[in-house]
Amino acid sequence: MSREDTLQILAGFIRDVIGDEWDDDMEVAFDTSFSDDLELESIEFVALAESVQAHFGDHVDFVGWISNLELDQIIALTVGEVVDFVESCR
Amino acid sequence: MAEVSVNGVGLHVQRLGDGPADVVFAHGLVMDNLSSWYFTVANPVAQLRGVRLYDLRGHGRSARPTQGYDLDTLVDELVGLLDAEGIEQAHLVGNSFGGLLAVACALRYPERVRGLVLVDALLPRKGWGEAMVGTLATTGEERDATIERVFASWLGRHSSRKRNRLAKQAGALVEGTTLLEDLRASTSWPDEAFAALSLPILAIYGAESDVLGDGQLLADAGENVVFDVFDGCSHSVIWEATAQVRDRIVRWFGEI
Repeated sequence: MSREDTLQILAGFIRDVIGDEWDDDMEVAFDTSFSDDLELESIEFVALAESVQAHFGDHVDFVGWISNLELDQIIALTVGEVVDFVESCR
Repeated sequence: MAEVSVNGVGLHVQRLGDGPADVVFAHGLVMDNLSSWYFTVANPVAQLRGVRLYDLRGHGRSARPTQGYDLDTLVDELVGLLDAEGIEQAHLVGNSFGGLLAVACALRYPERVRGLVLVDALLPRKGWGEAMVGTLATTGEERDATIERVFASWLGRHSSRKRNRLAKQAGALVEGTTLLEDLRASTSWPDEAFAALSLPILAIYGAESDVLGDGQLLADAGENVVFDVFDGCSHSVIWEATAQVRDRIVRWFGEI
């Protein structure tokens, strides 16, 4: 699976999490920021983490990875960084 | 997501860690949900023990009934969750109001609580409900300022969609439910009651916190209380010193 495939999977999860408030103008790319661009709420981030974990399996310890980041790093996270993390677990 | 029906209310529950769970995390009131614990302390603790986190009714992704926000009902909800998850006795970890809830649970159901970890917890002392209503019953700019302050250091600062949604959710909870009148009418305990708590307690407070006195009251009570005051921190100690709070709580669970 390519980085692009992983990006598309994540983009699907993000759309699901944002739900009714999803705006078709919103784009999910590698450099899309969860905070500044997608304005994801922290509780939505929990839902995203759950989807990522369920889809990719326990060896992708997304929650564990996030827990070891400093707050500023979490705030600045981009979709591409999550893609890279998922890829690094393969 | 796991939804667990407790006393007729659908609660959003997250389960972390392997093995039988005996640690339950409770979050603060109105502008909070389980994500605060989820992304900070819960996962490292889950390396040691089975962990449960839940959104209080009206918060996060739990259902928002129009009533039942008094302390007794919320304690019964917590105990109902313990029952539903098959937890006979739990360590309760609470931030702010979540700590007050944990203390009230230990006072009402001592047989269900093994220990407490309190992060800048208010105590259910006389008049606590009225005081809390005073800070919650704000509107307009004042409420926006509160949201700004509470979420200044969390995901999505300067995010209008998020601020609007938080304000909307807070408004729905404050104005669309009996929360304020329920808090006013909630149970309180005399100060002596807290001194009688004999279970192990880790109490972490910010040195500049407006509820430091509550922590001091606990600390004066007995040797079962470990009182850690974090310099330069306020009531938001969980955000101001996240790594230290996390390490301290993980150490506590490693030793206890």
